[in-house]
Amino acid sequence: MIKNYFMRHAQVFFFSLGQLSRTPIATFLTVAVIGITLALPACLYVAIENLQRLSGSWDSNGQISLFLKRDVNDAAAEKLAAKIRALPAVSRVNYISRDAALAEFKQLSGFGEALEALERNPLPAVLVVLPADTDSHPDKLQALVKQLRRYNEVDIAQIDLEWVRRLHAILELARHGVLILAGGLGVAVLLIIGNTIRLAVLNRRDEIVITKLIGGTNAFIRRPFLYAGTLQGLLGAMLAWLLVALALLLLSSPIDNLAGLYGSRFEAKNLGLPASLALLAAGGLLGWLGSRLAVGRHLRTLEPT
Amino acid sequence: MIQFTHVFKRYPGNFDALRNINLQIQPGEMVFITGHSGAGKSTLLKLITAIERPTRGEALVNGSNLLRLPRRRIPYFRREIGVVFQDHKLLLDRTVYDNVALPLIVTGTDEREVPRRVRAALEMVGLLSKERMYPITLSGGEQQRVGIARAVVNKPPLLLADEPTGNLDSALSDEILDLFLDFHHHGVTVLVATHDWHLINRARKRVMELNHGELVRDTGAAA
Repeated sequence: MIKNYFMRHAQVFFFSLGQLSRTPIATFLTVAVIGITLALPACLYVAIENLQRLSGSWDSNGQISLFLKRDVNDAAAEKLAAKIRALPAVSRVNYISRDAALAEFKQLSGFGEALEALERNPLPAVLVVLPADTDSHPDKLQALVKQLRRYNEVDIAQIDLEWVRRLHAILELARHGVLILAGGLGVAVLLIIGNTIRLAVLNRRDEIVITKLIGGTNAFIRRPFLYAGTLQGLLGAMLAWLLVALALLLLSSPIDNLAGLYGSRFEAKNLGLPASLALLAAGGLLGWLGSRLAVGRHLRTLEPT
Repeated sequence: MIQFTHVFKRYPGNFDALRNINLQIQPGEMVFITGHSGAGKSTLLKLITAIERPTRGEALVNGSNLLRLPRRRIPYFRREIGVVFQDHKLLLDRTVYDNVALPLIVTGTDEREVPRRVRAALEMVGLLSKERMYPITLSGGEQQRVGIARAVVNKPPLLLADEPTGNLDSALSDEILDLFLDFHHHGVTVLVATHDWHLINRARKRVMELNHGELVRDTGAAA
């Protein structure tokens, strides 16, 4: 009995596949439109994921850099560091002397030789202050900065990498934007499939009426259309996946170039397995739902007379 | 098998297609329904196949009350009735075999059972050799016989035919009539709507005549 049930579904599946392959151009056009529609939010998603991955490697803790005045010597700087270390709001203080700062800059910037040409070290000494409560409220952080700024030895006090936090916030916003966009485009896919299935239903109205006359249930009549819609949605999602992969392939060498210029080994990643499966599921589900809505609406109007 | 009591069918615009129809058809009977064009023959068949609902009265067909039959039950109700249409309503993009198999597929008949029953039905109408052909390549009489094979492949207890010989010459009509008589002899209730008196006279079965929506003559079950 159950075997019979699956046999029948398999038959309808291949029947629907056959119907789609009999009109290759129409099928291709529908699948292409769905693919492009789904590829748009998928591409944006991949871009945001990559940006988040890239910026996530940057420490976004509210670290404070105190740039010391030129005339502060090592001993005075160490004394100041000890004083700050004693503050309850501070967990750690690192002292980077002028020489150390220059050495680090030479190593990281790649301007080594150009710096050799300088007569004097242009860099100030720095105290890197790590607040006790790293995820603390911005106001508290600001208060600490104000307090630190009052020391005579301090020239400039600034919260490091605040822009990273802002970038994170912007990316979070963009992520929500993508969700809204995906929702809108999902409705578009629904309408595309709905319209395709509507035409298929009207093309086969005689067959539907005859099937009703000889006792075919609505579920029986719906089945091939649901398979057709789901298949087209799935194929569209596959196409979208390929389009995203193609876009990344085309961008990979410029990205490598750019990353190389920054001395980074960053590599853009494609949709992961869960996201790929979600894309396929969304395509199939939208296809099923679109055809279900279209068939349901038209089946009621197609009665034998 | 069929019992109508004071059945009315009124279409929008106050047109009465059937007026106060009372009739009773026993299981295994063969009945001809005749009358001029627009007398209500087709409307009567539409009521019996649940295409239309009666406006008033009680209509029982094969144990179902047509006034109260829920929509979702209609497919199952129709599976018990084989219908032969004047324009045979075959699917032109499917082979003869697939057309005849359709009622079996619809009811989910066992895979292994289908070929046997399709071929039995085709054999009965003498078209076994044409199972691979498409309906468009067949003659009018052959197309009608495919329609008959499709109507009986499910072995329904009730067989309806709406002007089954409408487009056929008398020799072909006789062949079709012989098929119906054959089903009748096998215990099937057969109802044929026709204005072909040649057919009616040859069959010598019960006749009901409709005139302007009213049943004006019924030769009775024992005719």
